[in-house]
Amino acid sequence: MDMLTIYLPIAGTEMNALLLLLIGATVGVCGGFFGIGGAWIVTPALNIFGFPMPYAIGTDLAHMGGKSIVATIRHSKFGNVDMRLAVAMMVGTMAGIELGAKLVMALERHGLAESMIRTIYIVFLFLIGSYVLYDYRRHARRQAASPGDRAAPVRATLAQRLQRINLPPMVTFTTSRIRCSLWLPVLVGLVTGAVASVLGVGGGFIRMPALIYLVGCPTLVAVGTDLFEVMVTGAYGGFTYGLKGRVDLLAAMWMLAGAAVGAQIGAVAVKYVRGYSIRLLFAVTIFIAWASVLLKQVRLQLLSSVLILAAGIAISGVIVALLVQGMLRERTEARRAAGGKTP
Amino acid sequence: MNRAAGSRRNRAGAGKAWPGALAAWATVSLAADRLWAEGTAEAARVYNVADSRGMEAGPSKWIADVYNTSSWQYAVLVVAVMALMGLLLGYGTDRLLRLLRLNLGPLDHHE
Repeated sequence: MDMLTIYLPIAGTEMNALLLLLIGATVGVCGGFFGIGGAWIVTPALNIFGFPMPYAIGTDLAHMGGKSIVATIRHSKFGNVDMRLAVAMMVGTMAGIELGAKLVMALERHGLAESMIRTIYIVFLFLIGSYVLYDYRRHARRQAASPGDRAAPVRATLAQRLQRINLPPMVTFTTSRIRCSLWLPVLVGLVTGAVASVLGVGGGFIRMPALIYLVGCPTLVAVGTDLFEVMVTGAYGGFTYGLKGRVDLLAAMWMLAGAAVGAQIGAVAVKYVRGYSIRLLFAVTIFIAWASVLLKQVRLQLLSSVLILAAGIAISGVIVALLVQGMLRERTEARRAAGGKTP
Repeated sequence: MNRAAGSRRNRAGAGKAWPGALAAWATVSLAADRLWAEGTAEAARVYNVADSRGMEAGPSKWIADVYNTSSWQYAVLVVAVMALMGLLLGYGTDRLLRLLRLNLGPLDHHE
């Protein structure tokens, strides 16, 4: 094992290369499956293993850009990336990030930043997790009442109402199969960007449900389109943190090697899982992240980091199991179909 | 008398010299201010240095050297390496997946 220990001169620490590969693979699986960056797993994980916090954040952002390229390539081949929608949202996101940064400065001037941000984070995670879980239960009840109606796309009422607002220019997003005012994705991007900026996170876990429940995207398109945005955020974050000297490129390269494999696994797994199952797993993940932030709030930093790392590994394990199960089912069906054709 | 004349000459000299003195004072004090400002800015700036002294020549040492040379070059290197690795690994792992003979065509967006 000592042979695999590498010296990271920029972060000023030593780390096992296998561990970096494992962290990368774990976050890659979750990122490819949910369409998120996964900073909430990587940052505490690197920090536990000796990375100073600014280097953990910078290194995570840098590898996030590369990992999202891998996952976006796969999702675009699946037809899950709505480029028009991604660009429209990005315009709002950029403005939102600036707005959020200004809000943080204002809070800082009043000495409220730290406590307020942590509280907003806890409330937000709880609300998102609860709503996604509530929506899943509602869907499950509806399915139980009329099991034959599985092919019909289910959209949140709020999204449908927002789509009906006739504010020119009206645009059709063909991949998402929605028609709405261009201002809808721009405004959703603005709000999610501002929230992400205030919370100091990439924002994937806010944007993905926002794309589903506010814009009205199918789950898989929300995952793919959000990954495109994470790719841009990661590249920008990698550059700006690199400029400040807070990225350990060697560590990021090792993590990316693991994350590339993980991201493919996570992205391919969506093929075998229904949209609502992705939402259910996402809600569970959000609740774990919520518990972790709560633990941090009561100053149980180490426990919080261990919880999030263990949960990340467990969730990727579930995703890999779903992938293997789906692949085996597909093979059996293909074999059965081939057997049926032979005279 | 001579003393008085000398004194008058001195006063007159001082009178003529005050713009020069003021200019000298301004130059010195501005220069001192500038030096002081540069000194404090220099002192306040934190240099990031990667300790690559014991490292053998290779990619790791090269990365550390770029880091120590220029922050701009390093930032560009970070983005370029991540993007290139992302593209190569993306297409590489995609090829590997095809060996599993999975159907990787467009998906039906079922919920």
